[in-house]
Amino acid sequence: MASVASSAIQRGQVDLVDFVDWSSVECLNQSSTHSLANALKQGYRDDDGLHLASDADEQLLIYIPFMQVVKLHSVAIKGPEEEGPRTVKLFSNKEHMGFSNVNDYPPSDSVVLSSENLKGKPVILKYVKFQNVRSLTIFIEDNQGGNDISIVQKIALFGTTVDTTNMKDLKKIEEH
Amino acid sequence: MVLEATMICIDNSEWMRNGDYPPSRFQAQADAVNLICGAKTQSNPENTVGVLTMAGKGVRVLVTPTSDLGKILACMHGLELGGETNLTAGIQVAQLALKHRQNKKQQQRIIVFVGSPLKYEKKVLEAIGRKLKKNSVALDIVDFGESDDGKPEKLEALLAAVNNNDSSHIVHVPPGPNALSDVLISTPIFTGDGDGGSGFAAAAAAAAAGGMTGFDFGVDPNIDPELALALRVSMEEERARQEAAAKKAAEEAAKQEKGGNQASSSHDATMAEQDSGSALPAEDKRVNLMDDDDALLEQALALSMNDAKSGNVAIVDADMSDSATADQDLAFALQLSVQDSAKDLSTQSEMSEVLEDQSFVSSILSSLPGVDPNDPSVKDLLASLQGQSEQKKKEDKPESESDK
Repeated sequence: MASVASSAIQRGQVDLVDFVDWSSVECLNQSSTHSLANALKQGYRDDDGLHLASDADEQLLIYIPFMQVVKLHSVAIKGPEEEGPRTVKLFSNKEHMGFSNVNDYPPSDSVVLSSENLKGKPVILKYVKFQNVRSLTIFIEDNQGGNDISIVQKIALFGTTVDTTNMKDLKKIEEH
Repeated sequence: MVLEATMICIDNSEWMRNGDYPPSRFQAQADAVNLICGAKTQSNPENTVGVLTMAGKGVRVLVTPTSDLGKILACMHGLELGGETNLTAGIQVAQLALKHRQNKKQQQRIIVFVGSPLKYEKKVLEAIGRKLKKNSVALDIVDFGESDDGKPEKLEALLAAVNNNDSSHIVHVPPGPNALSDVLISTPIFTGDGDGGSGFAAAAAAAAAGGMTGFDFGVDPNIDPELALALRVSMEEERARQEAAAKKAAEEAAKQEKGGNQASSSHDATMAEQDSGSALPAEDKRVNLMDDDDALLEQALALSMNDAKSGNVAIVDADMSDSATADQDLAFALQLSVQDSAKDLSTQSEMSEVLEDQSFVSSILSSLPGVDPNDPSVKDLLASLQGQSEQKKKEDKPESESDK
């Protein structure tokens, strides 16, 4: 079935939601009732009744740090036809960006989402730019219909991990 | 106790020379600023406060956000009045100063004193408010001094544009004999949101009201601030702990209602089985089960404590004088109890697994005084109860134990 194939993960890639460092995740301009967890967290993101909505205007700035270094292969963003995101810019390893400096740096990748993407088809990114990602910033610049509010139902990140030391696994050597 | 970085925007325009707020508008403002800085740094020692002036030659940052109260008080000294307030530029510079704060975990807040007449349109102010909200900056407005027509409404519009979950506030202070700082003490600008109330503000308010009673904990924060702080923190912790306990109790109640079968601990298994009456139609069967569960519980506990004697309670009561008959009795009793447990504990609780565990059975056997695990009848019994493959392993273990 076409819809199954479009949402199937590419061979070798894993869903990076397990590697997200939830304590430092931030989202600017999100509505207090429709927050980022609705779009990003396992369980919430598959519920179509829960979504992330923007507040003062249609832009959203999402900062996602990871617990270890990852390589990002593709990203799937699901949203409604009219209010779903259109232009999405991704920045790798830029901490604490604000709306004022999104245009100061060139994005690591910039994507214009089609209606197919909004149904869940992943967008393949410039893999070479995302080889060493500690944190990802997603800037949603505008939405499909030019509305005042952007709505995102699901954000899924796919990629692979780079073997780095997980500090929690470090154990002190027993001295005899 | 919210972790916050605050920028205070002071109006030092010509309008501040007026004396309708004693001793002068500007002096009242300075007192208020001092009090706010003290309250912020006391409510959380990691809070930072910065000050900038909006009039004079232009917007000027006097001190960037710092937790050093002395620096802030010093910079208020020797300020000169003059010029006109540039509100929009002042707020933008405050936003920039907050953006470059050292501790990014701090919430951003701007407190602006608007004493001169507003020359901006409502739309401009609303645009500024939206920009602040977008960058999650809270705004507190102190409306005093000149009150031309439209100023309160414009400021209310600004507040509405910036307000997110009631984190922003506005205070209108009419001229009068009361000092500006006294009026401000009782407002949410001072007391913070919700239960972030600072003992400092409460004490100051109480002192201003003229009485020395009514402190939060019977301790005067002015005399002994550390003790007052410690008491307040412990009360908040206690409250949080109670909330967590209440939440946990609610969760457990929900869990019991569902009657979860996949219980992870034996205690839960007992409780779950008590609740799932559907699995046990007859009443006396239920009683049996509970007795068995208790016995099995004891066994599991005893085993974990390496005390095999008490583990025999459920299995065998008879005296082990005659080994032949004892073996048979033992075999029968074992079979009975295993069957019972296998039947009753149809769910995958640890009890049934424990009894079916070969090592458990053989260790109990080996600890019985009259039983020799190497006896062929016992071996046959074991083989019949469990799989063949584990027997060899068990022979080594009981041998070593019987050698003691």
